Amino acid sequence: MAKQQVKSGDNVTRWIVIAMVLLVVATGVFFSMLSQKNEENASLAALGGMKLKPAITSTVDPDNGSAIVFNAGLPKVIDIWEDPQCPVCKNFEDAFGDYIDSLVREKKATVRFHVLSFLGDESIRAANASFCAADEGQYLDFHHALYAVQSPLENSGFWSTETLIAIGEKIGINSEKFTKCVKDGAKVDVVKANYDSMSKFGVQGTPTVFINGKLWERTNPNFDLGEFSAAVEAG
Amino acid sequence: MRKLNERFQPVVTLLARLILGGVLLVAGGLKVFKPAESANAVAAYKLMPTELAHLIGYALPWLEVAIGLLLITGLLVRPAAVLSGLIMIVFIGAIASVWARGMLIDCGCFGGGGEIDPSLASEVRMNYFIEIMRDLGLALAALYLYFFPYGKLSIEKAAPSTKE
Repeated sequence: MAKQQVKSGDNVTRWIVIAMVLLVVATGVFFSMLSQKNEENASLAALGGMKLKPAITSTVDPDNGSAIVFNAGLPKVIDIWEDPQCPVCKNFEDAFGDYIDSLVREKKATVRFHVLSFLGDESIRAANASFCAADEGQYLDFHHALYAVQSPLENSGFWSTETLIAIGEKIGINSEKFTKCVKDGAKVDVVKANYDSMSKFGVQGTPTVFINGKLWERTNPNFDLGEFSAAVEAG
Repeated sequence: MRKLNERFQPVVTLLARLILGGVLLVAGGLKVFKPAESANAVAAYKLMPTELAHLIGYALPWLEVAIGLLLITGLLVRPAAVLSGLIMIVFIGAIASVWARGMLIDCGCFGGGGEIDPSLASEVRMNYFIEIMRDLGLALAALYLYFFPYGKLSIEKAAPSTKE
């Protein structure tokens, strides 16, 4: 096929148009990056208002996927499988976080948190820090804080060791032990054990919840507290 | 065939520009103000280092909008067609690659993106096929525009025919 010919003599205009297109794209990238960073920093700053609740000890149960276990031995058992970076887990936490908190603090159920890390390095780092916080008796609050500052962009570089320590500091976990634990990645083995146990328990995604060993399947498209609490009560 | 193309070419070119440009403009426009979603979607293909994927995720929607506008208005149609054709080939390769690797993701073509749970596996694979066919069609439109960039309702016009 014969190509159509271009009218000659408009080269300057062509290059101006090309330059403008490149400018639009570059400006777009620049502002996207900037707004991302601003959003992350703002959410971290907003954490200052959070107050640490009383410490509550947990155990790690190697027989149950090395999950963080509260109130071991109660008749009602709730298993929660989450990845700290998973956006739907944030929705889950926003909707049910306080309720699950009350189940733990009022000793209504054994709650096992399986901290997964299949979404990349920042999940591993955050999961490690979660186990460090659990050693301080502050897993629950650290968990709330993590989701409160979760970046909409996975592996954005936001959950660095420094940020994770800063999150701890903001909510009042100041011990040197915690800092060292986060820095050294002292818990990566148990983090890996959680991840490795997924297939054994038939967990393919997050959030996944089992109530007394039975998979909880919601009928409501949103996370509905009434539906969830009814399912837990019925257990 | 040649006669037929000569007769309808200005209209076919216009249609190709509107379809290819329209799809790009819509696809880009839906993502342009959701940069994090777009960056996540590109990273979900696991084809390159995370940071590079994020950068491309930020840039792609703006590029799509820009090319879409050029095609629709009829400015720099040939370069825009070459670029969009290349982009379509990259999209086809990327989707074929996740398919071949057995990954289940949302292509994030018009926003969204990310992993999909295994209960939807067959649906996802059907989507891969449809997306590849769609992008193939758009690549063909781009190819036509490479040869015949100038038609009706275009800012830039073809040089007067040299044939007498």
